Amino acid sequence: MSNALKNVKVAPNSATLEEARHRVFDFFKTACRSLPTVMHIYNLDDVTSISELRSTVASEIRKNSHVTNPKVIDMLLFKAFEELKNVVDMAKQRHHIIGQYVVGKQGLVQDRATKDQGISPFLKNFYNSNYS
Amino acid sequence: MALRAAILRHVRLPLQTAPKLHHNQPHPCLASFRFMSSHDDHITKEQVTDRVLAVIRDYPKVDPSKVTPNVHFEKDLGLDSLDTVEIVMALEEEFKLEIPDKEAVRIDSCNLAIEYISNHPMAS
Repeated sequence: MSNALKNVKVAPNSATLEEARHRVFDFFKTACRSLPTVMHIYNLDDVTSISELRSTVASEIRKNSHVTNPKVIDMLLFKAFEELKNVVDMAKQRHHIIGQYVVGKQGLVQDRATKDQGISPFLKNFYNSNYS
Repeated sequence: MALRAAILRHVRLPLQTAPKLHHNQPHPCLASFRFMSSHDDHITKEQVTDRVLAVIRDYPKVDPSKVTPNVHFEKDLGLDSLDTVEIVMALEEEFKLEIPDKEAVRIDSCNLAIEYISNHPMAS
C-alpha cells in the first residue's frame, strides 16, 4: 500500500484558509506519490503517463480553487482522500480511471501504444471520418 | 587431502613486498578499485541542471524559451503555487527523491531546485 494514507482522514477543522491550503498541498503530494502504484495496477502505461495524471489531479484541484470557506475546503479534501483511497485500493476499475482521469478534451483517449504505428494513414483517417 | 594441499600449495601466489616509493607521492594503486562502491558516485551539477531544465520545459504550462537556470517559477514563468508544487513533485519523480515538506516549501525557483538536488545524497 503506498504511503500509508489508507487510514488518514482529514481532521474536520481547519482554523484558517492558510491551514486548509497547506492540507490541499499535502493531499496533492500524497496523490502524486501514489501515481506510480496507480499506473502499475491499472496498466495505464499505454494510454497515459504519470505527468499527465499529475496534471489531471492538479486541474481537478484547480476547479475548486475559488472556494474560500475553510470548512468547505475540508469537506472537499475529505472527498478527495476518499476518491484517492478508492483508486489506490483498486476499488475502481480501469475504465473508471480512463473515463474520469485520462480522457482528454476531444473525448478520446490519446493512444500511446506502439501497436497502431504500422497502420496506414488511410486507415487512420478512416477511423476519423469516411470523407477524410 | 594431501593432493588438495599439494595443489593449493602449487597455485598459491608468492608474497611480494610492496615497492618502495617516495614518501611524498601517494601510491598510484591506492586509488582503489572499489567497483561496487557508490561513495563518490554522485551525479554532476551539469547533469542535474540539464535534467531539471528538461523537466521544467516539459511542463505544459511553461513556455520553453523562457526557461533558464535562474528562472523563478512564480515571478518569471507566471505559475501559481499549485504549479510550483507540481513541478517539485515532477522533480521528485525524475530524481527518485522524496523531498520533505519543509524543504519543498522553500523551493521557489530553478536554481534553488538545482542546488537542493545536487546536495541531496540520494539523488539519482
